Amino acid sequence: MSFRPFTSESYSESDRLEAWRDVLSAVGLQPSAGSTVHTGHATASRRNAEGVVLARLAAGSQAVSPRPHPAGDMPIMLLPTEDGVTLRTSTGHQIISIGHLLLLPRKGDWSVSFQRDMRAIVLSVTSDAFGSRKVTGPVFDEVRVLAPTGFTEVFSRTLESAARNLEMLSDSEWAAVAQSLADLLPTFVRQLMPATDAGATATRAAILHRLCQTIERRLDDPDLTPARVADAEGISERYLQKLFEGSGSSFTHYVRERRLQRASAELSSPAEAHHSISEIAYRNGFNDSAHFSRAFRHRFGLSPREFRQQELERSSASSAVTGQRGWPQQALAQLRSHYPLAGAERSAEAAPADKTPCCAEGERLHHHLSVEAAHVHWGYFSRSMPPQIEINSGETITIETLTQHASDDPERMIKGDSGAESVFHWTREAKNVDRRGAGPMDASVYGRGAGEGFGVHICTGPVAVKDAQPGDVLEVRILDIVPRASRNPDFEGQVFGSSVAAWWGYHYNELLAEPNPREAVTIYEIFAGREGDHDETPHARALYSYRWEPQTDPFGVVHATYDYPGVPVRPGSVKRRHNVLDGIRIPLRPHFGVIAVAPREVDFVDSIPPSYFGGNLDNWRLGKGSTVYLPVSVPGALLSVGDPHATQGDGELGGTAIECSMTGTFQLILHKKADLAGRVFADLTYPLIETGTEWVLTGFSHPNYLAEFGAKGQSEVYATSSLDLAMKDAFRKMRRFLMNIKGLSEDEAIALMSAAVDFGVTQVVDGNWGVHAILSKRLFDSAPRS
Amino acid sequence: MKHHTLPVSPASVHWGYFSKKVTPALTLRSGDRATIETLTHHANDDYERMIADDPGAESVFHWTREHKAVVRRGAGPTEGPFIRGSGEGLGVHLLTGPVAIENAEPGDVLEVRILDVRPRPACHACHAGRCFGSNASANWGFHYHDLIEEPKPREVITIFELDTTGEPFAKAVYNYVWTPQTDPDGIVHATIDYPGVRVDHATIRKRENILSRVKVPARLHFGTMGLAPSESDFVSSIPPSYTGGNIDDWRIGKGARMYYPVAVSGAFFSVGDPHAAQGDSELGGTAIETSLTGDFEFVLHKKADLGGTVLEGLSHPMLENDSAWSVYGFTYPNYLAELGAGAQTEIANHSSLDRAMRDAFRKLRRFLMTVHRLSEDEAISLMSVGADFGVTQVVDANWGVHGTIRKNIFRCD
Repeated sequence: MSFRPFTSESYSESDRLEAWRDVLSAVGLQPSAGSTVHTGHATASRRNAEGVVLARLAAGSQAVSPRPHPAGDMPIMLLPTEDGVTLRTSTGHQIISIGHLLLLPRKGDWSVSFQRDMRAIVLSVTSDAFGSRKVTGPVFDEVRVLAPTGFTEVFSRTLESAARNLEMLSDSEWAAVAQSLADLLPTFVRQLMPATDAGATATRAAILHRLCQTIERRLDDPDLTPARVADAEGISERYLQKLFEGSGSSFTHYVRERRLQRASAELSSPAEAHHSISEIAYRNGFNDSAHFSRAFRHRFGLSPREFRQQELERSSASSAVTGQRGWPQQALAQLRSHYPLAGAERSAEAAPADKTPCCAEGERLHHHLSVEAAHVHWGYFSRSMPPQIEINSGETITIETLTQHASDDPERMIKGDSGAESVFHWTREAKNVDRRGAGPMDASVYGRGAGEGFGVHICTGPVAVKDAQPGDVLEVRILDIVPRASRNPDFEGQVFGSSVAAWWGYHYNELLAEPNPREAVTIYEIFAGREGDHDETPHARALYSYRWEPQTDPFGVVHATYDYPGVPVRPGSVKRRHNVLDGIRIPLRPHFGVIAVAPREVDFVDSIPPSYFGGNLDNWRLGKGSTVYLPVSVPGALLSVGDPHATQGDGELGGTAIECSMTGTFQLILHKKADLAGRVFADLTYPLIETGTEWVLTGFSHPNYLAEFGAKGQSEVYATSSLDLAMKDAFRKMRRFLMNIKGLSEDEAIALMSAAVDFGVTQVVDGNWGVHAILSKRLFDSAPRS
Repeated sequence: MKHHTLPVSPASVHWGYFSKKVTPALTLRSGDRATIETLTHHANDDYERMIADDPGAESVFHWTREHKAVVRRGAGPTEGPFIRGSGEGLGVHLLTGPVAIENAEPGDVLEVRILDVRPRPACHACHAGRCFGSNASANWGFHYHDLIEEPKPREVITIFELDTTGEPFAKAVYNYVWTPQTDPDGIVHATIDYPGVRVDHATIRKRENILSRVKVPARLHFGTMGLAPSESDFVSSIPPSYTGGNIDDWRIGKGARMYYPVAVSGAFFSVGDPHAAQGDSELGGTAIETSLTGDFEFVLHKKADLGGTVLEGLSHPMLENDSAWSVYGFTYPNYLAELGAGAQTEIANHSSLDRAMRDAFRKLRRFLMTVHRLSEDEAISLMSVGADFGVTQVVDANWGVHGTIRKNIFRCD
């Protein structure tokens, strides 16, 4: 396949610049002399055909110039897609706003600089694209900037949609797209030339255009001859042939190409599925289906039958998804233009009393952060939240966390617990924690409630770490995890959790039993186990379950599905079924689903998709005795913890774990950027988990979706998740780890991954799907101790 | 109960395919046991360490201009002219068998218990008694189009030695980049595209001191084990499917019981593709491929007796061991039936973990609902909180995700 993905995640920091140069040079560009290239996260998708390269680039701020190129070839087309750019030429500089198309000659003194992030589509067409056909493009030596109107807009839109679908196109489709882009370009460039020699050209072009239209109408006529077309247009057959030759084609070639293109479009259309292949061939002017098959295979590399089968599968695979979590694309676009984000609002002023150091352990201080409305943020991460507490590297802190699912059985999980009551308090008059999610406070998207539930987890924090700066690494050691027992006298000392098979679960679109679809909540009791009693290992047992019924929240909004967190379920509104999962007990794996430092890209980040900053990792290996290393992106790091789980399976299939409020004790150790060299977490761009026996690397469909998709990130990440992508990311991260940290060559790393590294499914429900790679420390036991 | 032995020889192996048409190498009854030798098809990556002076291996790999002991290798054409050789390498695994089971009929389930697995020591004087294996980072590997070092692309063979003196582990001996190899019939293999081609060690450059600090814990298992499918006479051994085959799960080792739906009369069990160790995903395309011998016990479960057992409704391979059950999801659960005539080549164009995950979910849900009598809601809640999904392999065309549920979940007062 001609599709080439690129991600900086594959490379160590020192190699990233060189790797990025390769990407740029494929489209005829190079970093401008003297400009610094941001070596942070960068991705590119590109696809090649003969002489044609189309690329979608996403990277940090930088400037690019032409890579010296021998022949006077077609200009490079560059379309900025998120922000404007600054164009510098010998005559000065100008600001180009988004949507304008730049035609850049392949030599000369120009540079295009991206002030913020680089996000652009680039098309490079060289003479190879035209094979033996002579396309005499006019020599082109100055930069042109074109406003998005008329033909330019058509061209830009074509570029955009082709670039967006690069990886989706089959080889044959891509070949057709690449060819049409290549064919459009000379016309485009010619049209831009000064008017002097344009008159005659324009006449010829107009006649040719009419001829093409005539042909298009008569493609079904197997006896379509040049003479008949020429006749219809009132020109001589010889002139007709000459016009086609002038355009780099011939009449016969053109007609065959159009027929095949149309046939391929009909073969891939579900609406035409009831027509046989020979009918389609006949409709497009092929009398003989054997001849059609041969010509088709020659053109597209597949027989018509194979092609149709392939297209059919593609369309059925892509039509499965129904609802999507997070921001809808439309709303994000509006947000960007109308809604300057204010600083993070807090529900109440921080209460200082119980955040002060409570005791000293040796020389280091131990802190305690209790859970209450003022100490949590619900459903989002934010770089602009004031910290609850600042602690020094090396100190320990106990952090209480609540599950957002406590409201599934408020009697058992909220009542009598002042911390939980404070967080969940919600009456007609008052809602202690108003914002739940990264959405708009006025709920203008769906009307679910403030924050729109674009993010659901109750996070305690943030905790600032003194002196932490972007580029440092924060080591979070999980020293202990203790479940939070019910404080309701009726259930004194008992521990409960909830698991929801929710609409965002993996199963939701293909339930077997009726009613379909449905959401089901199962309440579990947690038995922590007695010391030394082997029969009584810690486990969970189901208590009862119920189907979700529409719940009216205290503000009167009806939640027909589980679409907003913390809506109290009224006991009478659901039918409890007992004796569920009878005789089944599930061993515990207590862990925190969410451990995050604040992301750098935007102010409010949905807590659901995990990414480079950690977040909703949902990996049960993050339990007592484990450590996670997180790359610090904002001053103070701003650590938040939440989404406590009593146990979870790899995959988290139904959408949630056994969600159970728990209290964790952590030690935070800051590793300054300057001291990272030679450490296991040097060059860290993702959450790295260490357990007593393993290294667990976290791969995601989109390792840094905020940087990769920019403004659209919080919507796009839900739309494009795939285990195949996450597997690729996990592979690249493990390769990098083995090469850079363990000092192996690439060949050694790949052999070792085949023989000894285990890849597993972390979750398929958090928007950004996860595959982890597990490297056993035992492999390196024979290593000399340093 | 009878104990049979099935040594390797050109007569007791078939290479690169499953087939209901091959004459059984052994016929036995339900309850019988058999010791079965298997050879790795990668033995020729280092002839001296893995074939020389081993009469069984020598006889199978024998290939000169005049005589090729096992002619057909793969389910492809057996009439020339060949691009790669007879069978065209459409399927690569050396399989011992088939073992026919008396009285087995379509609809039954065959249980295969692996009682023991032992490595096959080298015979050549220089290496006698030691055990070796080969790992190929091959053109069908997950990494192949995503390499970062030059030359791109490349294939690399790493030879490992298996140390069984204590807790068994494998250690790399040397590696080399694949160079074009000419087989005795004169066909040049620029990449690893046909099994059993002897690598001429004069054409390669051995690099020693590789993975020098690394010990790979052994996980002796059989990558390919299964029954003959009914759909075609000759079926490539590469894509795993509903009758098992190249599942490549390292848990299929000592102590495992595999269950396979019987598709043809006699079941026709074959085993091969022995591995000394493999990670979940088999990323580079192969495991540490090492010749092994196994002791097996065969139990036939008749269709009429399946109801009320863990085998009720089983239409796909399943593993049981002391601690868990695993079901195997594939991109296409039965690719032969789903993809039609061109299935055996077409499957390679459709590989996807996303579909395999979907299939694993459905199979595990069915298992929990049918066998453990859970409602759908119970099954889904349990899968979310108590089942683990892992990547079996991303290199065998029909990619695999396994869903595992621990037995102690059901052990209750």
